[in-house]
Amino acid sequence: MAKRSVVYNQNRLDISYEILNPHAKRDIVFLHGWGSNKNLMKQSFAPFLGDFRHIYIDLPGFGASGSDLVLYTKDYAEIIDLFLTDINSSKDIILGHSFGGKVATLLNPKMLVLVSSAGIYVPKPLGIKLKILSFKVLKNLGLSKFRSLFVADDAKSLSESMYQTFKNVVDEDFSDKFRSYDGKALLFWGRDDTATPLHSAKSIDTLIKDSTLKVYDGDHYFFMKYAEDISKNIEQTFLKILGK
Amino acid sequence: MKLTILFGGASFEHEISIVSAITLKEKLSNFNLTFIFCDQDHSFYLIDPSKMKATTFSKGEHKKMPNLSLTNGAFVQKGMFSSTEYKDVVLNLIHGGDGEDGTVAALLDFFSIKYIGPRVNASVFSYDKRYTKWLCDAKNIKTLKSEILYSDIHKDITLSYPVIIKPSSLGSSIGVSIVRDESELDYALDTAFEFDSSVIVEPFIENVKEYNLAGFMADDKIHFSIVEEPHKDEFLDFEKKYMDFSRSEQVLKADISDELILKLQTNFERIYRDLFEGALIRCDFFVIDGEVYLNEINPIPGSMANYLFEDFSSSLELLADSLPHAKRVKVNYEYIHSIASAKGK
Repeated sequence: MAKRSVVYNQNRLDISYEILNPHAKRDIVFLHGWGSNKNLMKQSFAPFLGDFRHIYIDLPGFGASGSDLVLYTKDYAEIIDLFLTDINSSKDIILGHSFGGKVATLLNPKMLVLVSSAGIYVPKPLGIKLKILSFKVLKNLGLSKFRSLFVADDAKSLSESMYQTFKNVVDEDFSDKFRSYDGKALLFWGRDDTATPLHSAKSIDTLIKDSTLKVYDGDHYFFMKYAEDISKNIEQTFLKILGK
Repeated sequence: MKLTILFGGASFEHEISIVSAITLKEKLSNFNLTFIFCDQDHSFYLIDPSKMKATTFSKGEHKKMPNLSLTNGAFVQKGMFSSTEYKDVVLNLIHGGDGEDGTVAALLDFFSIKYIGPRVNASVFSYDKRYTKWLCDAKNIKTLKSEILYSDIHKDITLSYPVIIKPSSLGSSIGVSIVRDESELDYALDTAFEFDSSVIVEPFIENVKEYNLAGFMADDKIHFSIVEEPHKDEFLDFEKKYMDFSRSEQVLKADISDELILKLQTNFERIYRDLFEGALIRCDFFVIDGEVYLNEINPIPGSMANYLFEDFSSSLELLADSLPHAKRVKVNYEYIHSIASAKGK
C-alpha cells in the first residue's frame, strides 16, 4: 500500500493505492463500488492480467483514503484523473464496479470495463417512496431524531459529508455520459443483481456505441467468482484494440 | 517467577505484538504469567491465559474481560466492593508505536511500575532511525551513509541505485522497499510515507553479511545471546519476520570467527551502556570488508529474541532482578517553609 496526496479545489486529499506488476507497460485501473474498497478488487483480480500494471485505488472517503468533502461523481473523476496523471498512468483500461463504473466512464479511458455499473436510474419501489414521505412528515413535525430508522443500509454508518455525497451520487442518471463514451466498452453483469439490475446493463449496452455485454450467474458481487474469465475477456479485447 | 506481559498497543505492529505474546506464553511455561492487553483505544484488559489466542482479539472478545487501570505501583482491577492489584514486574512487549517510542516507558515510570523494556531516552534513540545514526556518531559506531527525505519537501536523492527506503520510525520491515532504478522510486516513497512523514534512504548492498546479536545488562555485566546469521531473500519482509517470531527451534549459531564475535559484542556494549539498562535488545549489524556497521536497534525484539538465548527463562529472571529504579524527587517544601518563617508566619 502507498499513499499520495493530490490537491483538488484547494483541498488536500490523501489517496491510498497499491500497484502490482510495477514494470508492466500497460495500465489497468480498478475502481471499487460504494461502501467498498480497493482490497475487494485486489482480492479478485490480483492473480490475473499479469501483463498489466494493476492500480488499485481507494476512492476518497473509502478504505484508507480520507475525505471530509461533499463530492459529486464528476469530482471523483477529476480527483482520480489528477492522481493518475501524478503517478504517470495512462488510462489504457479502467475497470469500475457499481459506483466506480460511473467514475470510470467519466475518466474516458481507451477501454472501459463496467462491472455491475451504476448510472441508470431505477425508480424507487412504492415502499421506499412511502418511507421517504413519512420521514419528511416526521421531520416537519420536528422528529428528525428517528432518522436512523429510515436511512438506507448503505448510508447508516456514514459521516455527515459522506451522507451528503451519497445523496449526490445515488440517483444520478448517466445515460448521456454512456452515450458520449466513444471507446470500447465491456459490460459484465450478474443475472440476479438487485442493486443494479440486469435491465440497466441492457440500457447501457444500447447507449454505448461499441460495447459487449456478458452475463454471469450471481448477484452484484458476481465478479469475485468470475474474475478469471472476466480478465481473459479483457486481455483478448485489449489485444484486438491494439491490433486496429 | 511472576511476570506480567503487556502487549497490543495503538501501533502498526499491534498484531505482531499479539503473536509475540502468544509465543512467550509457550516459551515461559515455567513462569506465573499475567497478560495485560492494551487495545487500539488505549484501554487495558486482563486476559485470561486460556484465552491467549489471536482470534480472541480479532473477534473483540477481550472487551468482555476485566478492565484495568493504573495506580501507583500496579495495574488495578476495580470491583464493586474491592479491587485487585497486579504488582508483578511488567514485560513491555508492545512493538512499534506506544511500546518502542517511549510512551509506555513514560507511563510505567510515572506510576512507579517495575518493567523490562527500554526507558524513555533509549526509546527515543532507537525508535527513529535518524536519531539512531546520531547516537552511533556520538558513540563512534559505524552506520551506512544515508539521506533523509520528507513527505512535504521535494528533494532528489544523490545515492546511486540500488537503494533501500525505510520509514524513519518503524521496525518489522513495514513500508520498506528496495529501489533498483528511478522508475521505482515514487511508488517506494509513497509506500514509506504512508507510515511516516520522513524516510531514510540507504545504499542497498547485495548479499551483505548480516548478523543479529541480542543481550541485556544484569549485575553490571552484559549477557550476550549467540550470534545469528538470519536467512533472507534480499531482506526480511513483513510476512517473513512475522513467521519468524513464532519459530520454536533454536537457530544455529553463525559460523564466524571468535574475533568477529568479539567485535560485534564490543559494538553492542558501546550502544547499550548508559542508555538501554533494563531492556533486552537485539542489534542487527552488517559486516562489510571486516568492518562492523550498525543497521538497527530493536529495543523490544519480536518474542524477545528468545530463540537466541540458550536458557531464555533464566536470562529473563536475571534481568528482572537488576532493573533500574526510576528516581523520584522528594518534595519537602523547604523553600516555602523558609520564606514563611522569614516572614514570621
